[in-house]
Amino acid sequence: MSHRLFASATAALTAFVMLCAQTPASGQTAPSATKAVKASANTSKAWTPPHTPDGHPDLQGYWTNSTETPLERPKGLGAKEFYTETELADLMKKDQDRVALNKEEGRPTEPGTNADVHYDYTQYGLDRGQAKLSWNRRTSLIVGEKGTLPPMLPEARKRNAAIAAKNRGHELDGPENLSLSTRCIVVAQESVPMLSGGYNNNLQIVQGEGVVAIMHEMNHSVRVVPIDGRPHPPADIRQFKGDSIGHWEGTTLVVDTTNFTGRNPFQGSGDKLHVVERFTRVDADTILYRFTVEDPETWDQPWTAETAWSKVDGPIFEYACHEANYALPHELHGARVAEEEAAKKKADK
Amino acid sequence: MMSAAAPVWAHHSFSAEFDSNRPVKLHGTVTDWELVNPHSWIHIDVKNEDGTVTNWMIEGGSPNALLRLGFNKRSLPPGTEIVVEGYRAKDGGNLAVGKNITFPDGKRMLLGGSANEPDADKK
Repeated sequence: MSHRLFASATAALTAFVMLCAQTPASGQTAPSATKAVKASANTSKAWTPPHTPDGHPDLQGYWTNSTETPLERPKGLGAKEFYTETELADLMKKDQDRVALNKEEGRPTEPGTNADVHYDYTQYGLDRGQAKLSWNRRTSLIVGEKGTLPPMLPEARKRNAAIAAKNRGHELDGPENLSLSTRCIVVAQESVPMLSGGYNNNLQIVQGEGVVAIMHEMNHSVRVVPIDGRPHPPADIRQFKGDSIGHWEGTTLVVDTTNFTGRNPFQGSGDKLHVVERFTRVDADTILYRFTVEDPETWDQPWTAETAWSKVDGPIFEYACHEANYALPHELHGARVAEEEAAKKKADK
Repeated sequence: MMSAAAPVWAHHSFSAEFDSNRPVKLHGTVTDWELVNPHSWIHIDVKNEDGTVTNWMIEGGSPNALLRLGFNKRSLPPGTEIVVEGYRAKDGGNLAVGKNITFPDGKRMLLGGSANEPDADKK
């Protein structure tokens, strides 16, 4: 197990080296990337991706984007953008030891916290470390010296505060007030850009002529990306996952997504969100996934993040979220019972 | 260091569905295991002090993750005795979330339980 993980980590490192060498596209990362290339140039070797019958790089197969790397760089790491290979190996070992210990003794939790009264994750197979992780040397998914989100614009803070205030105290009035994920409508993993969550972080890519389809195990949805030169639909068409169109730049699939609705925000974004994703298969077992996010009504500058996807065994299991979403009626019924009890208490006084 | 990020584990709010002020400890016999999404549900018959029997529903993890670890519906057959420590639903019904599920002898149910050892080659 550990050998396999390490092999895939090495592949991921090679992937980064290759990407850095090929596409210093986003100016933000060039200095650190160059350092990384120099640091491990001897691990890089040319790899030619297989091609689909219509001549494009073949990205097809089953992948996981599950990672322990946080979106933003933890405080204390400063401008350190990459761990060394030794540090990475140490982190991987620590995570394996943690999962092994949790399996033996249960997951340690702090009394009184939400985690303490929730499942013992390891027992339920919900600890992320129980599934294959896609390791890489990055200290944060966000690239660059800072490794953090740019500051949010004051008007965006105001907008998000107003949205939150409107629902406060009415969260359980009816199903429409519950979150999109509780309602099984759309979850973070299948939104754009695509980042991993707690579990079921598996994807399948299928390519046809003029189209790439990405299936997400969570929440069993397919994102169809046309690659036939068509434009985005008119601006009045708004979707939870936006509208994606793609094209090839050399061996990289570039996907441009606009037409978002503000109702499924990414890190506090609004409906002007614009995401450009870049998929590069850098070796047999790794896709490098890099995206740049901009929203002039939320941040004063674009920002870029990068992660590696690792090959996993199929198939993708159906995650039919509506199948038995008992949580929804339970939550609403719980709220009605609480209201009745409160009304009775008031009447008794 | 790398696991600093706090991910969202369940697709719904725990505190809206279950009451952390109402812990329960149930000794019961499995009558059914619904291996359904987004959460599996274990049904158990619990004998009350007055001799009557109440069927409880216990929320569990995502079947996809359990299947990948080698479990299937036969891993928890009807008739199995288990002990559930968890929290009762806010609506006061016979529903609970199972934090820990063990066999009466203390073995943990889904990990290392002798009766339910998952297929070794899938572990």
